[in-house]
Amino acid sequence: MLGVGDFYYELGVQIIEVCLALKHRNGGLITLEELHQQVLKGRGKFAQDVSQDDLIRAIKKLKALGTGFGIIPVGGTYLIQSVPAELNMDHTVVLQLAEKNGYVTVSEIKTSLKWETERARQVLEHLLKEGLAWLDLQAPGEAHYWLPALFTDLYSQEITAEEAREALP
Amino acid sequence: MAMSFEWPWQYRFPPFFTRLQPNVDTRQKQLAAWCSLVLSFCRLHKQSSMTVMEAQESPLFNNVKLQRKLPVESIQIVLEELRKKGNLEWLDKSKSSFLIMWRRPEEWGKLIYQWVSRSGQNNSVFTLYELTNGEDTEDEEFHGLDEATLLRALQVLQQEHKAEIITVSDGRGVKFF
Repeated sequence: MLGVGDFYYELGVQIIEVCLALKHRNGGLITLEELHQQVLKGRGKFAQDVSQDDLIRAIKKLKALGTGFGIIPVGGTYLIQSVPAELNMDHTVVLQLAEKNGYVTVSEIKTSLKWETERARQVLEHLLKEGLAWLDLQAPGEAHYWLPALFTDLYSQEITAEEAREALP
Repeated sequence: MAMSFEWPWQYRFPPFFTRLQPNVDTRQKQLAAWCSLVLSFCRLHKQSSMTVMEAQESPLFNNVKLQRKLPVESIQIVLEELRKKGNLEWLDKSKSSFLIMWRRPEEWGKLIYQWVSRSGQNNSVFTLYELTNGEDTEDEEFHGLDEATLLRALQVLQQEHKAEIITVSDGRGVKFF
């Protein structure tokens, strides 16, 4: 049960604000690390400390409300999904593969997951369609599909004033 | 006026340099980010005009470290978008060189006219040089503005009957109303 004044309720609101502000960058997918960093920044130095576990607990509560939040385990951490993009098991497993380099290719998927080309292509098309991935046609060899959510250069970048406005009701 | 310039995160993101993204929403974000980057880059480097060939090889569109460069067809689309927004003007019919204005002429016109009014200099005459290089305007944003952009700003004011571009002894000047 969520109650007003509840620690996790307030944390949930903060989480939603960060996700809204960054949605246009990452399509609604964010690593737990980045979310943690941004939430801590927003809390200021006198606020109660917040751990990644706290974030997970708050997000589970948000999930229970049917808000479209999702938690996807990848390479030892989690990707937090904040928009109700249709992500099935195939998409999730490709996300996990992408976590290593921040991008993924058809060949990589075929080699690691032993899938047919068509199945790999469909997943990548879907990620593009959902705005979670961008296409890179100048990579050596074949097209690379990059996920802004996994692009570590993006971490700890300040939320701009414009992005913050997105988070206001 | 010091201005800090940092390459936006997109500049280090390889797909940013691929021709415009297939996803419509993503493409819009990509195009908007490019337009914004072109304007800040030109503002920083005080570059008011460029040729398309220069642009292709400039660090703006060619990120050597990343080994990515925006293809010329996409550069054309970005430039066209800037033209539509009023920040760019083609200098020749074959669209090989362009004037780039990080502030639109209307915006510059407004700033200049505000200064004129504030300093009580309506009905005064200035040479173009005085406006952009005179001591009096040292603290103004339009100080150091290139002549081509200045003229366009004054033309806007002229249309609004706030100024008149005139000929003075060795060039052009403007009278404000």
